[in-house]
Amino acid sequence: MRWRRHIPFVLDHLIWLILLGVFLFFASQTDKFLTPINITNILSAAAVLGVLVVAQTFVLITGNFDLSQESTLGLAALFGLWLIVPALAPYWGGGILLSPYLAIVAILGMGIAIGYVIGALITYGKMNNFIVTLAFLLILRGLMLAFTQGNATSGLNLPEADVFYFLGHENFPVPWLGNVPIAVPAMLLVFLAGHIILNHRRFGRDLYAIGGNRQAAIASGIDANRRIRQVYMVSGLLAALAGLMLAGRVASIQVNLGDGYIFTIFAAAVIGGVSLQGGRGTMLGALGGVLLLSTIDRGLNLMRVSVFWIQVIQGLIILIAMFIDAQRVRFRAPVEGDSATVPGSAPQPIEQEPT
Amino acid sequence: MNSASRIRIDGRGGSPTPYLEYLESVMIGATAAPALELLEITKSFPGVRALDGVSFDVLPGEIHALVGKNGAGKSTLMHILTGLYAPDSGEIRVQGQPVEHMTTALAKRLGIALVAQHANFVPALTVAENVFAGAMPTRRGGFIDWPGLRREAAMRLGRFGLNVDVERPMESLSVAERQMIEIARALFADATVVILDEPTAPLPKHEVQMLFDFVRRQRDDGASFIYISHYLEEVFELADRVTVLRNGQVAGAAPIDALSQPDLIRLISGTDVERFQRPRRATVGAPVMTIAGLTRVGAYQDVRLTLHAGEVVGLTGLEGSGPGSLARGLFGLEPMGTGTVTLDGAPYRGTDPGKALANGVAYLPRDRHGLGIVAIRSVRDNASLSVLGRLTNRLGFVDGARERDLVQGYIDLLAIKTPRMSTPIEDLSGGNQQKVVVAKLAATEPRVLLLDEPTQGVDVQAKVEILRIVDELTRRGVAVAIVSDELHELTDMCDRIVVFYRGRITREFHKGSPEMTPERVLDAIEGGMMETTDAVA
Repeated sequence: MRWRRHIPFVLDHLIWLILLGVFLFFASQTDKFLTPINITNILSAAAVLGVLVVAQTFVLITGNFDLSQESTLGLAALFGLWLIVPALAPYWGGGILLSPYLAIVAILGMGIAIGYVIGALITYGKMNNFIVTLAFLLILRGLMLAFTQGNATSGLNLPEADVFYFLGHENFPVPWLGNVPIAVPAMLLVFLAGHIILNHRRFGRDLYAIGGNRQAAIASGIDANRRIRQVYMVSGLLAALAGLMLAGRVASIQVNLGDGYIFTIFAAAVIGGVSLQGGRGTMLGALGGVLLLSTIDRGLNLMRVSVFWIQVIQGLIILIAMFIDAQRVRFRAPVEGDSATVPGSAPQPIEQEPT
Repeated sequence: MNSASRIRIDGRGGSPTPYLEYLESVMIGATAAPALELLEITKSFPGVRALDGVSFDVLPGEIHALVGKNGAGKSTLMHILTGLYAPDSGEIRVQGQPVEHMTTALAKRLGIALVAQHANFVPALTVAENVFAGAMPTRRGGFIDWPGLRREAAMRLGRFGLNVDVERPMESLSVAERQMIEIARALFADATVVILDEPTAPLPKHEVQMLFDFVRRQRDDGASFIYISHYLEEVFELADRVTVLRNGQVAGAAPIDALSQPDLIRLISGTDVERFQRPRRATVGAPVMTIAGLTRVGAYQDVRLTLHAGEVVGLTGLEGSGPGSLARGLFGLEPMGTGTVTLDGAPYRGTDPGKALANGVAYLPRDRHGLGIVAIRSVRDNASLSVLGRLTNRLGFVDGARERDLVQGYIDLLAIKTPRMSTPIEDLSGGNQQKVVVAKLAATEPRVLLLDEPTQGVDVQAKVEILRIVDELTRRGVAVAIVSDELHELTDMCDRIVVFYRGRITREFHKGSPEMTPERVLDAIEGGMMETTDAVA
């Protein structure tokens, strides 16, 4: 019976064991796996995804969804480019020729603004978060298509765009690994910040309470609606940041930039143990989910598994993750109501002060 | 079990299993055989022996109460009976027949029905649809036979003395009516024994009587009930026999007539715990909150009330007569209404809970699960939830050490039984959960503490501990208002009791006056002082 006590701990950190197992599996299957270039590839693929997952984790912990991230990402990157390039074909620019540094500020500001509008519609407008963000997924992507008339824009080879490169393209040397994109440490920093905010800032602690029981959080003095607006602003900000990183990485801004990311984002968060019901989940777990998905993606690629099968496998991984989550709930509390009979505490009568 | 409650009305439900037929044949011969027996049941969980050789039985036509503190083993025993858990050892017998391996499906087939506190219905569907949930009568082609459905449902409910309009949506019925329908539903599905788990906690007083009359009638017709409750007065009123669990063992079992209420309390608590009688304190101080003519249409009218430092004021009345709404209004969970309220001399409005707490007004909700706790989060997170802002350092980070000290302080002060402060609060017993809620409020260092049914669903000892900490707070000058219909609790605790009738204050009792007895207060609650109501109406 004693071993059962450790089940919750193991289940909570199972993701890292699985990651290790997957690593060993691929390493045994192909000698191209444990190479510096491949590890670097896994990490840089994880960078953009990671930033988005941090944002989604914040939103999910409050018990809300943000489906709009990938469209915010695309539109923000495009908007930044429009601000800095000339209004000449073949580029699609505004001719404002704004300083790229200011453009980055504008991009991030735009992400925050989009998040605020979404949050305001959900809280002031009392609209369903799933539908509002689904609508924004369509609206923002549609705006991007409408503005560009569906044309690909690739202004990033202009010298003005060098600053845009930076996050997505700049490398720094690391022993053994070689050149690692600075997006990787940037992503890790975002995770670290996310972790600290969730656990050690009032903001993060409020989010857990809101997701765990919104009415109780409100009755405890938390302004839940304000927190939800803020969390969407964080989500928009990080989506815009991810847009910068992705644009730099692929060295162009296509109208489909970021398209389809949402599935991977949710998969990574869920695999990492973030509950879709809200109130549960950690940044460390989410990071594990991101790394696991990136690793499997690269590993299967190296093994020359067809893209279509990779999707099937990713779907299966999500199911397995949900199964593990269900077990976590089952093993967590032995008895409802009666479990308070903790060892050593039950039989003591309380001392009665004479009254 | 007599024939009335075992009539098989529904031919469509499939013929009874051979096993059930066998049971019925056995039963005819032995009328006094227990409907249900649990013999020497033992069950352990990691580190805890939840049940230790517990035996329990229910006779046909009997209401057998099962009482004990939270954590005494009642829920575990019922979970074993309903097949949710397998016992480590012991035997379950249904109508004399041993059941080898109880599962939830088998329990259902054997007629063990659980009526939970919040009945298991689809609120938006009609009574008739709910009565037949899962077994709608159909016509050829699989279409639902609506007229037949309504007729059948009305007939079946009528058989149990329930005359409700079966076309009304379930949610439009009172909680007691819903519970009665659920009991009836269990009985016409051939229930061997119906488990009533804290049925009266969400009920106003007059509905309790309605429910009890109904249960008694069914008992007289031969139905068997297991009745689980914290309300000892109700146990004495309803039960034929009582079994007391304490720390996973049977502390005592006897016909109810053989016991007095102090006997029962002693059996439950294991010590001579009496009610907490708050001594009269000479420390009632200056006015803290003055309510001068507050009105919210449909909730309360022209309320005039002053809460003094160090004073406990009881607010009571029939369900919906005003006190609960007043507390929620003052805290900002509901609109406060129009009128003047001053807090320490300054104008006060309950606009939202955050501002109320910042102003020193704290509220303990009566709905612990809905409003009191964040069930999946830890004891620590729950206890510090309202004071995180005060626990942050200059850089805006929550000071972990200070937070742990604060929470540990309250765990010690309130004797909160929890393995660790990181334990999810849902793993604690109801009484300990409530103590954490009290800790959360006390941590805000309120000037005014509004308690809405603070001891509802809480075991006897936790109740005493909670009331003692409330008394302790008054000694520090907190003004306390307790909304409650536990009259003994009010007369034991309060310096004043204010009675509401239809939204208006109609009567006030003062400590020390011979008038302040539960009987007199009850009389006023039910509208006894009509001359005063007339005067203000």
